[in-house]
Amino acid sequence: MLFSSISFLFFFLPCLFLCYFLHPKKGRNYILLLFSLFFYFFGEKKYLFLLLFTCFFNYFIGRILEQKQNKVWFIFGLVLNISILIYYKYTNFLIGTLSFLLKQDAIVFNIVLPLGISFFTFQNISYLCDVYKKTIPSQKNFFTYSTYVTLFPQLVAGPIVRYQDVCKELKERKETVIFFSEGVTRFIIGLAKKVILADGIYFFYTQLLESNMSFLTYWLVAFGFMLQIYYDFSGYSDMAIGLGKMFGFHFKENFNYPFLATSITDFWRRWHISLSSFFKEYVYIPLGGNRSTLFKNIRNIFVVWFLTGFWHGASWNFILWGIYFFIILLIEKFFLMKILNNHFFAHIYTLFLVCISFVIFSFTDLNELGTFFKGMFNIKDIRINADTLYYIKNYGFLLLISILGCGPFFKNGLKKLQKGKESKWLISLKICWLIGLFLISVAKIMSSSFQPFIYFRF
Amino acid sequence: MKEKILSVFFVVVLFFFFILGMVIKDKDISKYERRKLTTKYDLKKDAFNNLENYLADQFPFRNTFLSLYSFFDRVFLGNKENNNIYIKEDYLIEKNYPLKEKSIKEFSEKINTIVSKYLTNNHIFYSLIPDKSYFLEDKGYQKLDFSKMVKQLEEEITIPYMDIFSFVQLEDFYKTDIHLKQEAYDDVIKEISKNFNFSLQNDISWKKQSYDKFYGATYAKGAFLSKPEKLNYYTNYWIENAQVWHLEYGYKKVYDVEKLESTDSYSIFLSGPSALIEIYNPTANDEKELILFRDSFSSSLAPLLIPYYRKITLIDLRYISMEEVAKRITFVNQDVLFLYNTILLNESNLLKVKIS
Repeated sequence: MLFSSISFLFFFLPCLFLCYFLHPKKGRNYILLLFSLFFYFFGEKKYLFLLLFTCFFNYFIGRILEQKQNKVWFIFGLVLNISILIYYKYTNFLIGTLSFLLKQDAIVFNIVLPLGISFFTFQNISYLCDVYKKTIPSQKNFFTYSTYVTLFPQLVAGPIVRYQDVCKELKERKETVIFFSEGVTRFIIGLAKKVILADGIYFFYTQLLESNMSFLTYWLVAFGFMLQIYYDFSGYSDMAIGLGKMFGFHFKENFNYPFLATSITDFWRRWHISLSSFFKEYVYIPLGGNRSTLFKNIRNIFVVWFLTGFWHGASWNFILWGIYFFIILLIEKFFLMKILNNHFFAHIYTLFLVCISFVIFSFTDLNELGTFFKGMFNIKDIRINADTLYYIKNYGFLLLISILGCGPFFKNGLKKLQKGKESKWLISLKICWLIGLFLISVAKIMSSSFQPFIYFRF
Repeated sequence: MKEKILSVFFVVVLFFFFILGMVIKDKDISKYERRKLTTKYDLKKDAFNNLENYLADQFPFRNTFLSLYSFFDRVFLGNKENNNIYIKEDYLIEKNYPLKEKSIKEFSEKINTIVSKYLTNNHIFYSLIPDKSYFLEDKGYQKLDFSKMVKQLEEEITIPYMDIFSFVQLEDFYKTDIHLKQEAYDDVIKEISKNFNFSLQNDISWKKQSYDKFYGATYAKGAFLSKPEKLNYYTNYWIENAQVWHLEYGYKKVYDVEKLESTDSYSIFLSGPSALIEIYNPTANDEKELILFRDSFSSSLAPLLIPYYRKITLIDLRYISMEEVAKRITFVNQDVLFLYNTILLNESNLLKVKIS
């Protein structure tokens, strides 16, 4: 079930609101758990028991780890989680690679990737690590733990919510009108980002891809990839954060204007924050971080970025994507960071490299990727054809809004208009704007066969 | 206070549509979208897989929402097209772009194959009906180069071309459909009579009948709100006495009035898509026969030609192969016209003809 679907908005949510808010405070977690399981079952009937199994054994191991800090159980827990992820996500890729190396015909297994497996596996791992390190106590109630893992706003496409960030709210949380309203605002903005901007940009670049491509067109398409992936994923994160807030949960931010970054190091502090924090906390630091020899430090950075790439998909382009960032981050760490200050060149440099990275991200077929890069750097073919101009004109306003939306332009504009205090007409305007945005988004959902969220496949 | 307004609105809207969706009666067919809708019956069969389609199909005010986004996209975002549909002076115009030269070549080769293989003793022409995009301005729209298309065809096809572009105006088309109105074929018929050497009868007494609630195919695709149109159809003594035989359905009438209330009202003309139709005119003045290789445009043209032919055979090669046609029809001395709309030329792979 997608958040941007009629069944979610006009069937799932009303039923949940009704059951949740009419139920006494005690026991609301059970309502959330039941609805979250239905939410998962609706999208992935086959793997509901797998999800429940992971909940059970991680809860079980967590309980053991609290009683005795047993390394064997901890490693067993990690291995089991990782094995499940490897089996479902990477079996065919690994067999394919091995067969290629041995020059044998690859056997392809019919393994369907369970929805959100990368996200809930990482949440379970973070839980086990934190309990083992005694950062947090284990959860004593199996149903509460299962509510945490299966919580529908973040279940299938993140953000990766760590147990330590929500354990208090799982026990006791405030659901207020203010939180609910903030949640609604955030949800509507996320929904609009996904269905109006991300899907609109998708149509823009797919039409360009079908046209007579030139140097300029290739760069426009690459720019389109970058904007679409951002609005798709950040829109989803906004919806998840908004939904969480409606039910009294405060999830951490997952994006912080990533395209305003002044270096790739800075970009990764602003993009998919929950993933980079996970790798920093549970891979980089345990490996020794930067507190050891130069070689080990480089090795640790490599491991993190190899895994970051590989986590995104069982395909060579994602590994390449991770290694691409590893190389740039290494160069920045040892040389460039001294030069890259907060000026115009730094922004251009970052956007250029990020743009390239999303081209690598977008093509799982390396031959297609190669052809695309050839086009991007074929300076001899600088011509602006009528088709390109037509699409720029047709999608110009959408692109302009998308570009402005990458920074705090609208937020700051509103603040300036408010001049410190909120006037009545501005509040009314804001509410009308949000209502309009919601209705237009519903109309868009109705009108199109929109694209599924990109991050679902991870 | 402001928190309450937004929260209340959000919750009210969700519940309003949730409850209304449960209360209102299911619709089986959407005339607006020209398709069957998912109903409770489908939901009973497979609730999980059909729920999203069911809720979306039966959503209260669905058509208004569809049009709302199309309006927003066009007016606020400045997107000229919606689902490949342009709007110009209330006319919904399907984009036919780019010019697929390979497809045009394939079309030429298919026509040449038919001519050389089967039509050695016939009076033959080919002609093209422009699609509505022909009337768009050159700038600001994606419009194919029609003169280049015609030039390529003239160079490649071995039989003479009957040019009817100048007899067709944008106003001759339905606003919400790709087809020409039946009354717009006057000049086209004059041109056909000139080329096939028959004289038009000026004393025909035409009876005009109308249907006021016509929404064409482009209407659903473009999702632009517009009023229903008038669809006129014309009868006379010969049309009323003609016998129409379909390969698929057997004998039918020239105007299948029941189709007016179906999802495709244009199917009133010769009952809609059909591979092979033979129209017999028992009261014809001479023995002339016409073979019309055609697409859907000819469904409304053919009835107007009935007074001048003893027999008209309509062949739609999208639904029957040429080999199959050759088994059923003997080509000898008939007038033969290949009449296609320019949209089909760009999709000529649909024509079932083996090129030799």
